[in-house]
Amino acid sequence: MRILKLLLLVVVLGTGTATTIMYSGIVNVAADEPHSDFVYWLLEETRESSIKKAAQNIKVPDLEDPEMLLMGGTDYEFMCSSCHLKPGQSESDMSIGLYPAPPNLTLSNEEHVGHEHENDEQASRKSFWVIKHGIKASAMPAWGKTHDDERIWAMVAFIKRLPTLTQEQYQILTAVE
Amino acid sequence: MKTVLIKTLTKKVTKIALVLIPALTLSMTATAHDPSMHVKKAEKADCSKMDHSKMDMKDPVAMAMMKKCMKQAEKSKGQMDHSKMDKNMDHSTMKKIDDKISENEQHNH
Ligand code: HEC
Ligand SMILES: [Cu+2]
Repeated sequence: MRILKLLLLVVVLGTGTATTIMYSGIVNVAADEPHSDFVYWLLEETRESSIKKAAQNIKVPDLEDPEMLLMGGTDYEFMCSSCHLKPGQSESDMSIGLYPAPPNLTLSNEEHVGHEHENDEQASRKSFWVIKHGIKASAMPAWGKTHDDERIWAMVAFIKRLPTLTQEQYQILTAVE
Repeated sequence: MKTVLIKTLTKKVTKIALVLIPALTLSMTATAHDPSMHVKKAEKADCSKMDHSKMDMKDPVAMAMMKKCMKQAEKSKGQMDHSKMDKNMDHSTMKKIDDKISENEQHNH
């Protein structure tokens, strides 16, 4: 009986605190005001674990096909480069203004910090899942609603090679004609 | 009396300047932003910059670039059907006309 009372108290207190925080307006949702380190860590761990679990059984096709680079390249230039940048570009309105910031996909895994990186296959799997489903409460859209898996794998193939491309190579691969 | 007034005035002005100058420069950089950055044009692949000597033809990137540029070359050839043309056409002047066109294009803004 005592334990039950204690439990009830905890529940009431918890709900009360949550409600107060929600409706008091003290949580700042501005994108130009970063999360605290703790909240950032919390969100990042949640996101990484979620993607890892959701992507674990995806079968990765052969990504070394030139046709895929051409299809993925044009799509990347028109749909992704405004946020994820291209060779020779280090910032854009989106890359500066969005929070969480879109990662610069022209940098190789070794060059960018923030989270761990696994082998190629695992990285491709995760890219595919993120491109197809997007990420909640971030600016990353779910492209799977408007693009089939073939187009999405082509984008995965392209972003896999993107960090190695020069500006000239990028221009030729992504041009419409 | 006067000097004290001037002294406090200069102090005030310095303070205002210290706030205003950084604020102004910051807001200027936020607006000084080339509108051309927002325009996405459908560009043609710039195949003239391709350096074959540096290309490994087994690399998917190199193969993809060759594919795109060959398609482009074929397309521009296909636009002109020589079989239906007057055999007397003087090809020697064509280079000049091409140059003229590209010159015009360059100065057309
Ligand atoms: C409006 C901006 C925006 C556009 C457009 C956009 N993304 Fe993203 N993308 C993001 C943001 C923001 C994140 C990071 C989300 C986070 O950290 O929670 C992200 C994350 C990603 C990731 C995960 C990267 C990593 O290392 O964790 C991949 C892969 C990705 N995007 C690919 C793409 C592709 C491919 C396209 C084009 C089809 C695209 N994105 C278009 C904003 C964008
Ligand atoms: Cu990453």
